[in-house]
Amino acid sequence: MKLLEVLLNGQFLALLGAAFAVIFAGLGSARAVGMVGEVAAGLVTEEPDRFSQTLLLQALPGTQGIYGLLTAFVILFRIGIIGGTPAELSTVQGVLFLVASLPIAIVGYKSAIAQGKAAAAGVGIVAKRPQELAKAITFAAMVETYAILALLGSILMVFGIKI
Amino acid sequence: MSIVKMHKIAIIGMENDKDEIIEQLMNIGVLHISDVSSKMQDESWTGLVSKDENEEEIFQLSSDIEKIKASLDYLKQYDKQKKALFASKRTVDASKFKSIIENKNKIWETIEVINNMDENLNKLKQEKNKLESYIISLSPWKSLDIPVQLTNTKATSIFTGIIPASADVNGLKAQLEAEVQESCFQIIAEDRDQKYLVVICHRSKTDELLNILKNYGFNKVVFNDMTGTIEQNIQKHKAEILKIEEKINSLVKSIEDLCKKREDIEIFYDYFVVEKDRKEALGRLLKTEHTFVLEGWVPETEIEYFKESTSKWQWDCYIHISEPEEGEEYPILLKNNKLVQPFEVVTEMYSLPHTGEIDPNSIMAPFFFVFFGMMVSDAGYGILLSLVSAIAIYKLKPKGMLEKLLKLLFLGGISTFIWGALFGGWFGDVVTQVTGGKIEIKPLWFNPMEDPMRLLLWSLILGGIHLYAAMGVKAYDAIKKGRIWDAIFDTGFWYIFLTGLALLLAGGKLGTVGKYMAIIGAILLILTQGRAEKNVIKKFTKGVGSLYNAVGFMSDVLSYSRLLALGLATGVIASVINTIGTLLGFNIIGIIVFVAAFFGGHVFNILINALGAFVHTSRLQYVEFFGKFYEGGGKPYTPFKINTKYININNKENEERKS
Repeated sequence: MKLLEVLLNGQFLALLGAAFAVIFAGLGSARAVGMVGEVAAGLVTEEPDRFSQTLLLQALPGTQGIYGLLTAFVILFRIGIIGGTPAELSTVQGVLFLVASLPIAIVGYKSAIAQGKAAAAGVGIVAKRPQELAKAITFAAMVETYAILALLGSILMVFGIKI
Repeated sequence: MSIVKMHKIAIIGMENDKDEIIEQLMNIGVLHISDVSSKMQDESWTGLVSKDENEEEIFQLSSDIEKIKASLDYLKQYDKQKKALFASKRTVDASKFKSIIENKNKIWETIEVINNMDENLNKLKQEKNKLESYIISLSPWKSLDIPVQLTNTKATSIFTGIIPASADVNGLKAQLEAEVQESCFQIIAEDRDQKYLVVICHRSKTDELLNILKNYGFNKVVFNDMTGTIEQNIQKHKAEILKIEEKINSLVKSIEDLCKKREDIEIFYDYFVVEKDRKEALGRLLKTEHTFVLEGWVPETEIEYFKESTSKWQWDCYIHISEPEEGEEYPILLKNNKLVQPFEVVTEMYSLPHTGEIDPNSIMAPFFFVFFGMMVSDAGYGILLSLVSAIAIYKLKPKGMLEKLLKLLFLGGISTFIWGALFGGWFGDVVTQVTGGKIEIKPLWFNPMEDPMRLLLWSLILGGIHLYAAMGVKAYDAIKKGRIWDAIFDTGFWYIFLTGLALLLAGGKLGTVGKYMAIIGAILLILTQGRAEKNVIKKFTKGVGSLYNAVGFMSDVLSYSRLLALGLATGVIASVINTIGTLLGFNIIGIIVFVAAFFGGHVFNILINALGAFVHTSRLQYVEFFGKFYEGGGKPYTPFKINTKYININNKENEERKS
């Protein structure tokens, strides 16, 4: 029954939440950034001058991974793993942290990929009309709104949990 | 804060003077030449004039420019001269410019040489590769010390060949000894796949021997077109490779020498670009048999200069200057004060206002300033941002879009500094972390990480103000155009309704006031929003339906929560960087790790957050702000002038004009 004890440990559950945030948001961003990179590489073979513009587009869907890490850090700060002594957490508190990590984990994963698709299509805009980069960026940024909202949701929840 | 008014210009002149007049116009550099193709659809014009076609010439010029550009790009790879990170345009004397243009052929020769260089270099490299692989294929036979052309003597035949590595050599030996005694063979070399044989036998036994060998998988190897021993041949090829390498080196060296010509080629490039612009302008005129006509626009601010310059003209031509007709679209030039100017780039990237619309920049600018700073919100980052962009502006002396963008970053840095100080972020919490909590820089206002809800509220309030401003602009525009009622109905009543709702949410005594305000506002909106409909029932349903826009307004306001989220992101990442940096404590390794984490981490954080802040501030302007009133779609004012990439031609006339 040692295993069950570990599984119901508050610290473990909170850490699991932090891990989810990093894993899924990071996975999504990695896939998305890779996707844009592939398309961008195709354009840069023909037009090496467009490197910096396409790099900008490639960077956009990378933020979800950062948001995931950020949420994880806030959780780690709260439960005292970083910069303090680990707090005693009840199972319920642990589950609360786990739940708080879900918005950025799930929305981060999906929105990164969706944003990657928009940014990859934006590379097409840059290919034909390099002066319209701002519009390509705006299209991709529209998607990011939802990652930001999810981040905000996660962070407010994490801040709000009473220890 | 406005769109500069334009004067319409029409020039009619003699076909013979056309080239000179166009060149003069280019030097004056303030006329925007309009496209006359629409005139060609006008019946009263079609019979009289035709378009000046010179597409072939332009095509030729374009392909010339491509060639010059290719040679410049090629030289770039070999140029050892260190280029400054911030390269600015060189100033070239008009006399030097002239001398280079006069030596056209010489420069074309150089360009040809450079463009052929690549091909020559590749050819040589290929040849070298071929020889190298040849040597590799010969090297197993190295110890064969009879000349390869010797395939038989008076009494013997000599074969060279290979058998698979797995072949049974002992069996072969035994069989040969038994059946063809007048033979012998030797394995010269072997590798993983095969054994290399040389076989000698009596002439009369050749066929028998070959039959036996075949059973063991023997393949004859014949050295065609070769004489001498293998070793000699290898040496010969090696010597050839050396020669080729020498050639390659001398070619590379000659390319590097040609890099000195690069400046001349750059001037040449600019010359061709200017020439192409000129020819393209010619294509925008209409002509009859002996005359031509040209139409364009000159901004009000430049009209005096234009008049004065053209008054000196000696040609027989007629210049007509008039005001634009009511509602006529003209090219857009924005004029704002120095503080607002950098923000124009945000609007330019979206779409320029059309004629008769309000230039939104001066209203947008303060919001952009505030929002950008809020999203980055670190005093240290702000100082760095401003510093770097100030240096870039000073060193690069950029023009156009880049200049505005850098100035925008400079201002954004200041805003970031202010917000950082308000929120207590100085490279995150580096001071607290390094001193172990002994010294703490107190925020001037409050620390959002401790009270995020408070900042969320403020973000939404700022968002509401931003949206109110957008509706205000819409009302102002309506009033300016004489539709005062529209302004009152579509903006004033919404103000009442929405403010009422906001107060209601706030609760307390104000909440009751808000309740009545919201009700009155709603009634007023129901009564007025359907006024465009004729049917009374439709008027009513449309009025009620319009209240649904309040939901849209709410979601717009919530969109401003990104101000908090991105601001928090910067702060948290910064403190994470500091935590990692101070992890190893105060010792030599710890300090090294701290310095590395501090510089690497914070630079990364600044880059990613400044990009994010720029993108999302722009988004708030484009979607939430512009969405309320802005139409855009104006064509930019692009004066016909000398437009160079590498050089500024130092012309006396130009100098006077600048001062």
